[in-house]
Amino acid sequence: MADRRYETLVVIHPDQGEPGVKELAARIRKLIEEQGGTVSQIQEWGLRDLAYVVAKQRRAFYVLFEYRATSKALAEVERNLKLTDAVLRLVSVRQAENAPPAPPRTARRFEREEGELEGAEQENLGEEMA
Amino acid sequence: MMRDRAGERRGGKGEGGGRTFRRRGMGRRKVCRFCADKAMLIDYKDARALGHFLSERGKIIPSRITGNCAGHQRELTTAIKRARTVALLPYTAAYP
Repeated sequence: MADRRYETLVVIHPDQGEPGVKELAARIRKLIEEQGGTVSQIQEWGLRDLAYVVAKQRRAFYVLFEYRATSKALAEVERNLKLTDAVLRLVSVRQAENAPPAPPRTARRFEREEGELEGAEQENLGEEMA
Repeated sequence: MMRDRAGERRGGKGEGGGRTFRRRGMGRRKVCRFCADKAMLIDYKDARALGHFLSERGKIIPSRITGNCAGHQRELTTAIKRARTVALLPYTAAYP
């Protein structure tokens, strides 16, 4: 079976705390590998504000996984994640083979700063980084 | 009268490509931002960039307004919907 490039963004309950998230990320990595996948990158975004309240929480941890796996493996990983109580939301997307790996969060931000942004928004950007 | 003149000006230089396309009313020709800037990628993880295409209420702004081409608008809406499922973007405006 052909293995494909996927990425999964997982939203994790804030009560897990930083170490809990690390542990869970390691567990998810193992899960993917057990299914015959190879993880190329795990990106922790840290605690972020949610756009709306999920499970009575306003903030949550975000972790992004980039990996290669078969579609069957993906289904199994997703099933498992959905059963995990600490996982609030997840989204999996198939990536193009030639797509560049997700840049780290900070680099992404700089990119946008160079782009055509109006003054007001650049101010906001600065605030957020501070 | 003003309107007519504006229309003529548009027809004269706005289109260029020989197409006789008469735009009604004021305003300038809108171009798809993603076609104009190939480096601008549509990514559901980039909530800040996607936010430009949401109204204050959190609704997706129609391409009629933003000028996006159909293909990019389609990519954009799926990206926004993905971002919504993981709470990167709101479904509606936040209530106090």
